[in-house]
Amino acid sequence: MARIVVVTSGKGGVGKTTTSAAIATGLAQRGHRTAVIDFDVGLRNLDLIMGCERRVVYDFVNVINGDANLKQALIRDKRVENLYILPASQTRDKEALTEDGVERVLGEMAEEFDYIICDSPAGIERGALMAAYHADEAVVVTNPEVSSVRDSDRILGILASKTRKVEQGGDPMPGRLLLTRYSPERVERGEMLSIEDVGDILAIDLLGVIPESQAVLNASNAGQPVILDAESDAGQAYDDAVGRFLGEDRPLRFVDVPKRGFFGRLFGG
Amino acid sequence: MSASPSSVQAMELKGRMLLVSVLRVHDAEPHNLGNMLAARRDEAPDLMRDMPIVLDLQPVADAGDAALRAVVQQVRAAGFRLIGLQDGEAAQALEAADAAGLPPRLAMGGRGGSGEVALSEGRARREDPSAAAPEERDSAASGAPVAVHSATRVVDQPVRSGQQVYARGGDLLVTAPVSAGAELLADGHITVLGPLRGRALAGVRGLVTARIFCRRLEAELLSIGGHYRIAEDITEAERGDNRLVTLAGESLNITES
Repeated sequence: MARIVVVTSGKGGVGKTTTSAAIATGLAQRGHRTAVIDFDVGLRNLDLIMGCERRVVYDFVNVINGDANLKQALIRDKRVENLYILPASQTRDKEALTEDGVERVLGEMAEEFDYIICDSPAGIERGALMAAYHADEAVVVTNPEVSSVRDSDRILGILASKTRKVEQGGDPMPGRLLLTRYSPERVERGEMLSIEDVGDILAIDLLGVIPESQAVLNASNAGQPVILDAESDAGQAYDDAVGRFLGEDRPLRFVDVPKRGFFGRLFGG
Repeated sequence: MSASPSSVQAMELKGRMLLVSVLRVHDAEPHNLGNMLAARRDEAPDLMRDMPIVLDLQPVADAGDAALRAVVQQVRAAGFRLIGLQDGEAAQALEAADAAGLPPRLAMGGRGGSGEVALSEGRARREDPSAAAPEERDSAASGAPVAVHSATRVVDQPVRSGQQVYARGGDLLVTAPVSAGAELLADGHITVLGPLRGRALAGVRGLVTARIFCRRLEAELLSIGGHYRIAEDITEAERGDNRLVTLAGESLNITES
């Protein structure tokens, strides 16, 4: 049975899809059979980030409606073995995600895969609730600024009450924090919340800290998950996060202001 | 067991002021009213369950008794416990049609009230939930008018933005952080063994001796017995660790404890 993971945030534009793509790719790189589903029906971003937008024939809604079967809709990644993408439909809206349909598709996928990553849309509406409802655990993506933290807090509250596990009398799903677009320099200047500030407010375990990095934008434009850019700080930080996700003990990197050398300080380099 | 009749009274009859919520209906159209009730329930599901209310149908008195009866049913179905009908033409029309199953007519002061006074205790306050009965000072005697059982409600999970926890008829103990945008309500005291960044309303049914304690005070709003202070009115010096909030007269005092 697959482990179902929802990547969520409440607020838009914080890096959910980038994170979904990176984590799914990282898990597949380690040999786990992994699928990543775009729940953002109506917008469709995941296939762009994954660089498979030109290979989309059928989508998630087609599978829910029975127009296509899973095998036809799942797109196999060309770079990483064991990685499959289920894209969202751009021509439908989120109402097309029926409870029964989502449950059936996830159930079918759970037989095939080790991990299913659900890329949640922003907001707290139907699409986001659907993405979270069946999940075993959550990765909450947050930027170090107050409105994003507030929205993540709201989502955590919803995860604590509106999931299948809770409704069946189980424990609330564990949620872990992934802090993205973190800039140690701006934290030091007091322009951004620190890891400690965010941790203090959200009171959940930290899965990782991804530094603000040009590599993320470059990767998105190239249609390549940033984790594949192993030279970049963001790619390495995501790799650490995937390691921690699987229970490895990895120290945080890229969270301190880089020390400038003597001459650098002298000449204001 | 035999008690001598002279030493112990089997009962006593006393007057008591009580705070009661009044539900005033402005639109008897079932769909509109249903939407409104549902919206309220979504906002505060716990608050409405078994909440004792007096129903005021005066604004829709001319809707006819069939429509009024439907309103009564709808309000009951929403979870309210009807303890009285605001006296007036509407209540009298209802009773004239069929008194069975209706709560007693109560005449209350203020808008819509008419002559006779059915409650010998005096006039219950209506409408303004923030107005606590000022005479009530005795903690054992005041507080929730209906709840006898007053077990403390304990919450071990963080209370997050958008969540609401209500300890009906008792105290509330939260052992985790309370986020900005979260709301705690209790008929009794509120204790937060973590940072309090949301709202905390103690003694929501008029217990003015209720207290709020928190490990760290960064609250958006504090209220005891209906008297409140918003974040803007809480000074930097008053914020901090281990704060106790009490009501003295009409003002909330925040002290380090």
